[in-house]
Amino acid sequence: MNSAPLIEITGLTKVYRGAQRPALDDLSLDIRRGAFFGLLGPNGAGKSTLLSVLCGLLPPTHGTVRTQGMDVRTQARRIKSILGLVPQDLALYPTLTARENLVFFGRMQGISSARLKTRIDACLAIARLEEFADRRVETYSGGLKRRLNLAIGLIHEPQLLILDEPTVGIDPQSRNFIHAGLQTLHRAGMTILYSTHYMEEAENLCDDIAIIDHGKILAHGSVPELLRAHRAGSIVAQLETDLPDAVAQQLRALPPVRSGRFAARSFEIESDTPDAALIAVTEVLRGARLPLVSLSLGAMNLEQVFLTLTGTRLRD
Amino acid sequence: MIVFHQLLAAIAKETRLLVRDWHALVVLFVMPVMFVTIMSLALRDSFGERAGVTFNVLIVDQDGKLVGEKLRAAFTKDKHFRVELATAPFPDATRVEALLTAGRHKFALLIPARATVQARQRAFEKVNTGGRERGNTTPVGVQLRADPTLRADHRSMVVAYTNGSLRAIESQLIAERIAELARTPFGTSAVSAPKLAAPQLFAEVGDPLDAAGAHQTPYPTSVQQNAPGWTLLAMFFLAIPLSVTIIKERTQGSLLRLQSMPVPTWVLFGGKIAPYLVINQLQLALILTVGVWGLPLLGGERLTIGDAPGAIVLLSVCASFAAIGFALLIATFARTPEQATTFSATTVMVLAALGGIMVPKMIMPPAMQQLAELTPFSWGLDGFLDIFIRGGGVHEVLPEAGRLLAFGVACFVLAIARFNRQWRHN
Repeated sequence: MNSAPLIEITGLTKVYRGAQRPALDDLSLDIRRGAFFGLLGPNGAGKSTLLSVLCGLLPPTHGTVRTQGMDVRTQARRIKSILGLVPQDLALYPTLTARENLVFFGRMQGISSARLKTRIDACLAIARLEEFADRRVETYSGGLKRRLNLAIGLIHEPQLLILDEPTVGIDPQSRNFIHAGLQTLHRAGMTILYSTHYMEEAENLCDDIAIIDHGKILAHGSVPELLRAHRAGSIVAQLETDLPDAVAQQLRALPPVRSGRFAARSFEIESDTPDAALIAVTEVLRGARLPLVSLSLGAMNLEQVFLTLTGTRLRD
Repeated sequence: MIVFHQLLAAIAKETRLLVRDWHALVVLFVMPVMFVTIMSLALRDSFGERAGVTFNVLIVDQDGKLVGEKLRAAFTKDKHFRVELATAPFPDATRVEALLTAGRHKFALLIPARATVQARQRAFEKVNTGGRERGNTTPVGVQLRADPTLRADHRSMVVAYTNGSLRAIESQLIAERIAELARTPFGTSAVSAPKLAAPQLFAEVGDPLDAAGAHQTPYPTSVQQNAPGWTLLAMFFLAIPLSVTIIKERTQGSLLRLQSMPVPTWVLFGGKIAPYLVINQLQLALILTVGVWGLPLLGGERLTIGDAPGAIVLLSVCASFAAIGFALLIATFARTPEQATTFSATTVMVLAALGGIMVPKMIMPPAMQQLAELTPFSWGLDGFLDIFIRGGGVHEVLPEAGRLLAFGVACFVLAIARFNRQWRHN
């Protein structure tokens, strides 16, 4: 497999007009060719902005973004021809049939008449929509619409498929079906950039993951790498109330604690003697009368890593 | 070539979306037909009542002396006239006719060069001969020309006013001459007052349309005012479905997807022009059909549509382009379908009211008339009246068609610029 980066992002900053903070803040990231790349982040983290910049919909304020060596500022049109976007919204025309939707979007991608029919048949097959192809989309179930939404993104055989939470609000069967389809495409060599809130999806599908918050990459690596970086030796606690600074100082000063990362209602502590650290931490929390939501020691799953890095405070 | 295929696909998609929303289509066709029928029948007998009419009068004063001054003063002081003085080089009769046909002036008063000198010479002769005609002088030929759309009673009123003003000048000149004679040693023995009762220094001004040899077209009837007026309103009402379509595409994510594809914005918008243009033409055809054949069956007046189908098509296409451009621009301002509907309906109704669709321009006060001239509705209506009433053809409607086209292009370009800017900043 060619491991050269398909996407190279260097020092990317995006500031919306009138905004107090940048949506993307000096972000750098490489996505290798053929990767199944997961982009995780809470609401407002900057995921959609990043995808919009990658798709050439928004110009960067600073920094460079290259896709297959092409600069998004100057070669957006060429970049658009090699990527397929599957938006979170059902970007379909409800009063058209699936076939008519595919014809229209295929034409917009510049596909010739001769090739279009073949591509439509292939996309209908991938999404298993053959028997629904000539029915109006407004009569479809949510799952069928999601499958068509995916099929349209594939109409021009893109080298890079960008999916923005493509399985929101559908039944497990349709979700599994879409997952299977994406894995097939990935095995065939397609680079996939997958933005999701579902950690289980990312854990099962993605071979490379970036966790983004406040416009910055907080962690980047394969799933095993991320879990390893936050595994045994780590004590992860989630609290019901905010963690006072004084208590955080107290925890940081405990003898068994090597380092700590503190968020508003959660913290992660590294220790060479985790058992002793656990007892000490529990005593500090009890003394401060801080009620716990969860406390874990040892290996974490991706969701715990995510919550540790981004905090548990509700986002808008 | 790819762009051409993209444009065709966009047109095909838009046409399918339109055809499948047949409820909206029915409204688009039924609404204007209902309006034209109801308004034409309801206003059939009262449409011509125009209290407080003000006429634009062009005075071409090549005399510049007493006769010209007196006539200018007479028309200027009357509140029913708004006088515009032609400046040198003075327009000839052909140019004056063109100005009247274009609707810029309702009347034109042509005062020939040396009118005062000629009138004084004739006064001299008439007074000296006791009113007898010697043939050495001829009456001064002041001419009155009129917009062919004017009603006969309005023409008669202005004819009478002009002749009255000329009689007053005539009296003054005769009195001047008598006073001169009175200062001579011979006194006034040569003057016989009764014989000077009608000295005829000025030729009698007749009906301006007869004088101009123009065809005797009646003033606009209610159907002639309402048919093009409400057709234009219906065309511009396309702003509602068209802007809502774009906003739905935006909220449903289709536009986002399209923006991620290598397709220019003008193609996305351009794809919407053709189907809506066709709808506009069908609207016009339907309304003309109803006006020509349907209304007479209901007891209304028959719509006369002139004899220049090419001019109708040209004007209609340009008006449609203006309406579609306007709709696209509206779509870039509204964020929700509700906003688009309200904003479209309000702006279209305001522009239509200003443009003389609901209230004919000629009964508006002068300031409102000037304001009306700035609206595309006024351009469109004037163009249709040129064809239907003034017998105009393609050449005559070119100014109105040009303005409508320019308005449409300006809206289209602004809409694309605003749309692209929104994407960059949102």
